[in-house]
Amino acid sequence: MIPLTLRDWRAWQPTGTVSRDPRLSTEPRPKGTSVPALLRRRLNIVGRAVCDMLAELDPDGQSIILHASRHGDTERTLEMLYALNEGNDLSPARFGMSVHNAMLGVHSIASNNQRSLQAIAAGGNEVAALFSEARGYFAEGEPEIIAVFSEASVPSRFSDHLDHPVDMAAVVMRLATSDGIPITSRPLDEVGSLRPPQPTDVISWLLSGGNLPSPSQRLMWHLSP
Amino acid sequence: MTHSLELELKQMIIDTLELEDVTPDDIDPDAPLFVEGLGLDSIDALELGLALQKHYGIKLDAESDDTRQHFASLNHLAALVEARRVK
Repeated sequence: MIPLTLRDWRAWQPTGTVSRDPRLSTEPRPKGTSVPALLRRRLNIVGRAVCDMLAELDPDGQSIILHASRHGDTERTLEMLYALNEGNDLSPARFGMSVHNAMLGVHSIASNNQRSLQAIAAGGNEVAALFSEARGYFAEGEPEIIAVFSEASVPSRFSDHLDHPVDMAAVVMRLATSDGIPITSRPLDEVGSLRPPQPTDVISWLLSGGNLPSPSQRLMWHLSP
Repeated sequence: MTHSLELELKQMIIDTLELEDVTPDDIDPDAPLFVEGLGLDSIDALELGLALQKHYGIKLDAESDDTRQHFASLNHLAALVEARRVK
């Protein structure tokens, strides 16, 4: 199997405790200053955090970027469904930004990134999907990939339908096949009540190393601290 | 154009289009709203069309050349509202 290494990362977790690690931001309202104001106004706070982190890890707009989110922007999507149900017109801007690849689209315009940008929703298997897609690009000779995993808050009227609560957070990883911390996988014997990994779980994993369980794959990814 | 309508339209543009760090004083009534001037884009034009319908009951034809004229500047927009508003 193609090896996987972690070269760098950035993370945003507004509900997290302040970390001494400068790669983690707990800023409650990310400013999104990497994006011009006329573009920035259409980003929610997750989008602003992601675009600012991408500006640090993809400053020249030259990287292939993968973005995974299980739920995407459920707030905008649900608001539109309720508006339709009430016979109201949809906001074109909100519709445009509700699609799964909107965040990367804004980053691509702001940074003039014309590489492949891919949006993924994998029903709880987002980390596995990101690593799998990254390996696909590595197999074709790409030396480095940027992988984004983000979740926004889920509106309360939808949250009762979730198996697990969603914590708002985002993480951006620069992945390669060498020259970084190796990411390996090991069998997971006991699945128990483990939840699918969320961005907050990935952030904890990046901060402390060790194992990140992926119950549906019955494996765990290992990262040396 | 009355001063109150000018201010009302400026505030409608700022609120509808969620313009950040823009005040009514920043919008020049004679300057282009799109591309140059305020720098709005085609999605903003659709948003403004919806806002005109909601606030003033004005329906515009997106394909009409007249629509381009109505959106040329705040002054043009005000003339449209004064001429065709039904609420």
